[in-house]
Formats: sequence, C-alpha cells, structure tokens
Amino acid sequence: MTAGSSTGARHASPVRRARKIAPWVYFLIAVAAVLVLSAVRVLAGATDLTSSGTVQAALTAAVPLAMAALAGMWAERGGVVNIGLEGMMVLGTFGAGYAGYQWGPWAAVAFGLLLGVVGGLLHAVATVSFGVDHIISGVAINLLAPGAALFLSKLYFADAPGGGQKQSPRIADAPKVTVPGLSDVLGTVEGKHWFFVSDVAGVLRGLVTEVSLLTVLAALLIVWSGWVLWRTPFGLRLRSCGEAPTAAESLGVNVYRYKYLAVIASGGFAGLGGAFLAVSSGQFRDGQTGGRGFIGLAAMIFGNWRPGGLATGATLFGYTDALALRGSAAVHALLLLLGIALVVVAVVQYRSGHHVLSAVAAALGVLFGYWYFASDEVPAELVGAAPYVVTLLVLGLASQRLRPPRMAGEPYRKGQGK
Amino acid sequence: MPTEPAAGGEPAPAVELSGITKRFPGVTANSDVNITVRAGTVHALVGENGAGKSTLMKILYGMQQPDEGQIRIGGVPTAFGSPADAIKAGIGMVHQHFMLADNLTVLENVVLGSEPRAGVRLDFRAARERIREISAAYSLNVDPDRVVDDLGVGERQRVEILKVLYRGARTLILDEPTAVLVPQEVDELFGNLRELKAEGLTIVFISHKLDEVLSVADDITVMRRGTTVASVSPREVTSRQLAELMVGSALPVPELRDSTVTDRPVLTVTGLTVTGADGRTVLDGLSFTIHAGEVLGIAGVEGNGQAELVEALMGIRTPTAGTVRLGGENITRASTRHRREAGIGYVPEDRHRQGVLLEATLWENRVLGHQTRRPSSRGALLDLKGAKADTERIVRDYDVRTPGIGVHASALSGGNQQKLIVGREMSADPVLLIASHPTRGVDVGAQAAIWEHIRRARAEHLAVLLISADLDELIGMSDTLAVILRGRLVADYDPSTVTPEQLGSAMTGAGRED
Repeated sequence: MTAGSSTGARHASPVRRARKIAPWVYFLIAVAAVLVLSAVRVLAGATDLTSSGTVQAALTAAVPLAMAALAGMWAERGGVVNIGLEGMMVLGTFGAGYAGYQWGPWAAVAFGLLLGVVGGLLHAVATVSFGVDHIISGVAINLLAPGAALFLSKLYFADAPGGGQKQSPRIADAPKVTVPGLSDVLGTVEGKHWFFVSDVAGVLRGLVTEVSLLTVLAALLIVWSGWVLWRTPFGLRLRSCGEAPTAAESLGVNVYRYKYLAVIASGGFAGLGGAFLAVSSGQFRDGQTGGRGFIGLAAMIFGNWRPGGLATGATLFGYTDALALRGSAAVHALLLLLGIALVVVAVVQYRSGHHVLSAVAAALGVLFGYWYFASDEVPAELVGAAPYVVTLLVLGLASQRLRPPRMAGEPYRKGQGK
Repeated sequence: MPTEPAAGGEPAPAVELSGITKRFPGVTANSDVNITVRAGTVHALVGENGAGKSTLMKILYGMQQPDEGQIRIGGVPTAFGSPADAIKAGIGMVHQHFMLADNLTVLENVVLGSEPRAGVRLDFRAARERIREISAAYSLNVDPDRVVDDLGVGERQRVEILKVLYRGARTLILDEPTAVLVPQEVDELFGNLRELKAEGLTIVFISHKLDEVLSVADDITVMRRGTTVASVSPREVTSRQLAELMVGSALPVPELRDSTVTDRPVLTVTGLTVTGADGRTVLDGLSFTIHAGEVLGIAGVEGNGQAELVEALMGIRTPTAGTVRLGGENITRASTRHRREAGIGYVPEDRHRQGVLLEATLWENRVLGHQTRRPSSRGALLDLKGAKADTERIVRDYDVRTPGIGVHASALSGGNQQKLIVGREMSADPVLLIASHPTRGVDVGAQAAIWEHIRRARAEHLAVLLISADLDELIGMSDTLAVILRGRLVADYDPSTVTPEQLGSAMTGAGRED
C-alpha cells in the first residue's frame, strides 16, 4: 500500500494527463455539436434550438455566470475558496440598481464592481487576515448580502420614481452592436431552415446581432484574466499562493498581499456579474441572482479552473437557461439533446476506463431518450429547473481529470512553513 | 583525529561560522559553534537528530538570527536578516521537504519570485533558455516545461537545486538530501554534487547517513548537543568512529545472545501470492515458518515485495493464492482487526502514514489498533482512564521523552514516536511482531532501546518478522535470514556466518545460490 501505490500513482499520472488538444479538434467538436443540434432540431421541429434569438438569450444569460465563474477562479487560484460569490453578486446587482437608474448603465457597472469589491474585501479580511474558515466566511456573506441589499433597497428605491420596496427604477440598457450586412445575410440563410447551414447561420447571427457591449466587455475580461494569470509574473505569484504558499513565501512572495488581491479581484468580478445581470434585465430586483453565484462555481469547476473552460461551462448553462425561457417545446427537445450528450459521455468514459460512470451515463441517456419519445411536452414546473438538472448531470458525469489549485481553501499562516 | 584544513595560500573560506550561539526559551540550540567551509568543497555536517544542525543552517540561511557569534562569507563579516539577504550573499538552501508547487511547471517553480520580464509580461523564452543553460552546465537534466507533479523525487530535488542556482547561489545548503531518495537517485545526486563542486561551488551537506557522508564529503564537521565536537577528514575515519563521535560514546551493537528458538510454529505461510493493482505478480509463492522465540529477518532492496508481504500478513491486502496460519488458525481471509486481536503486533515502515496520528494525543494513539481490548476499552465504550494509565506505563517503560501523554504525537521526535509505537504494539502481549524498519530514522539511543525490547520479547517466546534495510541490524538481530528478490524468497542464510557483502549481492540477484 505505502510504497507500492504511491509509486504506482506517480508513474500512472503522466499517462492519464490530459494531452494538449489541438485547435482543429475543438473545431471538429464544435461542428459535431452543431450537426447534432440541427439533427435534433429537424427531428423535434424545435427551431428555437439553434435560432439566433436563442443564441442571443444564451449569451445574455451566460455573461453573469461567466463573471461569477471568473470571480471564483481568481479567488481559488489565489488559494481562497469563495463560496460568497452569490452574496457578492447580490451586492453587485444592488450597486447597479442604485447607480444605474440615476446615471446610466456604465455607472451601474462601475458601482456594481465597487460593491463587489467591498464584499471581496470583507471575505479577504476574514479569511486571510483572521484565518476564518473560507466556507463559513462565504456563507456569512451570502446571508448578509441579500439582507443588506433588501434593506438598502427599501431605503433608496421605495420612494424613487418607478421603484419599489424590492426593486429599483429602470436602468437604461447598455449600447448594443450589430455587424452591419453580415447579420442580414445570415438572417436570410437562417430563415431557409436548411439542414446544418441554417443552423450555423443562426448561431453566427446570434453572435453578431445586437450584442451588448457588456457581453463584449465580459469576453475581453475572460481573455485578459487568462493573460494576466498565466503570462505575467504577477499571475504566477498569485497562482503560486494557491498551489504552494509556503514555497512562495520562501522565495520572497508576499503571500498575504497576493491573496488579498485575488479575493478583491474575485469580489470585483462577482459584482460585475451582478451588475451585468441587473443592467441586462433592466433593473435591480430582490432575489435576482437566483443561485447564479453557485452555478458560476459549478462552471468554474467544470472548466477546470481555467478561463476557456469556465467560459464553455457558462455558455452551456446559459444555453439551457435560454431554452428554458423559450418555453416547453424547446425544453422538450433539450431532453433528446441531453440523452444524446449523455450517451456520448458514456462512450468517452467507457474508453477512459470508468465503467461504472459510463453505465450510469448510458442508463440516464437512454432514460432521457425514452422520456423524449414517450411524451409530448415537459411539465411546466420542470422547465425552469432544466439548467439545474443539466448542471447536476454535467458535473456528476463528465468528471474529467480536474486540477484544482492544490492549497485552495487551506488556511495559511505566514512563517509556519518548515 | 580532528584535523585543521590547511589554510596557507588558499582562498578565503566560503563560509566561516565562529562562536555561534542561539538560545530559545528554555533551550540552547547552538552554543559556540565553529565551522569553516572551504570554497569549492563538499562539507558534511553530521549529528544526531536534535544536535542542532537544522538551527545552525537556519541561521546561515537567514531564517533565524544568532544571539552571539559571527558569520563570514568569503572572509567578509555578514549578518542576515532574512533568507533574501542570504540569497543575495550567494547562499541557497535545498529544503528537506521540497518547496515546490506540484501543479506548476518546472519553469514556473524556478523563476517564481525573480521572474525575467518583458514589459509586464513574464519572459518565458529568456527563462527557458536560462534554465536550459544551468541544467546543461551542471548536468541536472531538467526539462523546464514539465509539470512538477509528473517528476520523480530525484528530479524534484534537481529542480530545487536548479532553483537555488538560478538565484545565483555559490554556496548550497542541502538539508538531509538523501532522506527521500532511493539508492540510484542518491548516486545521481552525488554525481551532480561532484559536478557542482567541479564548477567551483561550495556545498554544505547535512546528513546522518554516515556511509554517504564518507563517500561524498571533503571535510566533515560533527555536531553533538548543539555544539561542534570535531572536524575530521573522511580519509581518516571509519563510519563507526564517526558514529561514536556523534553519540559521544560507544555504539550499541545489534546482537542476540543465545538462541531462544523453539519448535512451536507461530506463523506459517504457504505459497503466498499477491497480485498488484496492475496485474503484476508482486509476491510469488512465498513459504516460510516463524517459530516462537525466533526472529526471521528479510533482506532485500526496497520494492521487491516487502511492503506487500507485510500488508498481506496484516490483512490490508488480499492474497490471490496461498494460506497464512497463525498458530493453528487459518487467518488468510481474516480482517485486520481480527488478526490484531489474535496477537499480531505491527510496527509499520512509515510511521506517519500508518503508525500514528500526528494530530492526536499520545493516549489516543495508544488506543488505536487496541480499541476493542483492555485496558483501552470496556465493552462498547473506551476506557479513558485505563488507556491513559497504560499510556503512562508505556512512556515510562519505553523511555518516551514527552512532556505528557496529552500532547500531540507531532510534538515528539521521530525516535520517540517510534518508541511509543513499539510500546503500544508490545502492550497486548503479542505472539507475533511484524516489524518493518523498526529503527529507521531513529537516533542511536532509541535504536538501542528498540533492539533491547525486541530481544526481551523474543526471550519470552515472541515470534518476530523483521524487515529492514539496515544489514547490520538484520544480521545482528535475526535467528534466520532470508533474501527477497522480485517477490520471491531466493536465499536463506545463517546470520552467524553471513557477511553484509554476501547479503548485498544476493539482494541484487548477483550471487544467486539456489
């Protein structure tokens, strides 16, 4: 057990490591995914599956999730688990509501960010300076923030024109951009309902039409975060605090400082996520975040604590969210889609030797397929739950070789390394 | 025997510590320590655990400040306020427990904290070139782009050395560098050290493995009870003399006086076969018998099936074939707890992994493995009073040096933890003791005590399976000796006639006589 298994694991790990995947493989996967989507669309007659409207809605829904996931990544890369994302997002939504109706969407974004930073700072003080357990501090923030937001909302919005006890007055939407010409051409093609071609056109059109500048900003922030964390000395030092803080300390890195910066950045991104949510839905409302902070965490884990991965995860959740909004026909088609996806997962897991997981995925896949063919629609009560069901299944069954930051969530005290 | 290195005409010593004294509340860790490390040599610092080596090196590396005394680097008096100062002065430390981030690449680990920059960006290309350069210059053979998690222990150590060299160190402190290495890796490390020396670097090498010290060091300084007691040249001392300098008295010798072997078999193993997780046969048809009052020693290079044998005997691993009988009872499929209750005591090879819970008190550790038996429990409940009283007894009888039985096991030195384990395993009057490396990493005093306890129990008809890498211990403590090679028992020896050389060649398969 002792010597045998440890050396065994050491020798086995290089073989099991995820290999670098070439860009063309991603491209092929994307093409295959659209092919499956269009097949399901034709079969189920659910045009919403690949319509530009769905893609737009998916993007809008994905942005706050992606920001939450990004926030989680920043904190955990710095070694602090931030389960208080939800609360920080709530602060962000309130900040956006407060500034937004008075001074417009960009002020909303700035205030949301600011309040998120306040939340992050609180978490940093608790976890880094006082060594409070990360989960406890996070839960405390999650309890504190909605209460504070509701209190402030009663204070500031109840008498504001168009506001109420639990909601802010309207916020003007952020400017939207459309690629001129291209959007129209794609629109024409999409309207033809050709197999595959129209689907591609629909997806692309969704990506170039009426895109909020906030979405563009979010995309830039994801890329920027990846660059900062993986390409700069600052990022290396920050990540080293999540991987091996004592080693970092022995090399002269001020671990406390980087942890503070990581958690504050995390709060800022979560606040931004909340602000984007409030601006895109036109106002602050009590309970608006609806667990998005947690789904963001799930997207982060799905994305293996990396920007590209978490963006994929957020898009996935955003897409199911959008379908749920489109109504029960789309969710019904989603059953078939999920069935197919689970069978694919089953095959992949089988080939990597996880037979039990594979069997579970296959069984669930068949079950969803059966459900699809045996019914005409999904009960309305379940439609709204679709994103969460997908979250669960994806997280449970797609278990890849995850590489979380080694010391995330571990207490760290300066000078205790040996 | 103590010699003074010839000073005339040579460059100033790389490091000179004179009159260093360091006191902590209640203890003096170092008192009047004097060491002169010549430039371009490997200087070994040897001493028992607790002799003050680590404190001294922390002082030299700036992690602690001396109360008295002077540090001279290259002849210039210096004072270090922090490791950063020491690094600036060209001193680097390779810690015993690696300071590496497993999920980061070698490059990231090496440059962390002093990254080459291109604007705000980390200049990966420059870093990679510099690492390749250093790696080639000292034959470290380190690939900057691999993830540390994928590297073996030896490679990780080379990364640590590279990290220090990258920061421009001219004097390297290696704290017990061989503790974690297998023999081939030790040879490689020594090759690297010679390379570094040839390039004019100075190495301070802390160890208590005397054979290694003798083979690699140019000068040796011996520490005992916080002070330097001798400076010797490896050409003039034997490892035995060195050990006596470390201990300050004659060494204990592992030996059994008269035979106590009876003809009553206690453990009978027939055709024991174990298959590993990857389908390889790790134990292949082992058969042996241990009688009451007999010590069976198993010699072998580590990784030849010893760990699996012990685990199969303890019920941690299920054998694919063969039987294990304890006394008259077939225990091949019995649970570990049943085996322990039937009278098997077990001293595991890795005490931190299997022997003790570091974050539990001594008396709680005493209960573990004996939780179903008196005096630790009565019926379904633990008998705290009984357990504590018996822990007091173990602490007394086995000379476990501890402030009390309520402290965590982590507060004890390795030797004292081991004495506690031996005491615990002996406490339930076992009929069979499985002892894996019982004196590994234990200082000489504790070693003698553990041997004495095994001897005494053997006289009372205890059967012992002794697995050890220390050939002197095996030869001295065994009634019968067997050699294990690739999962088979390949040779039997009479410990009264065999030499360590014969055993060594049988262990590597060079001198197969069957």
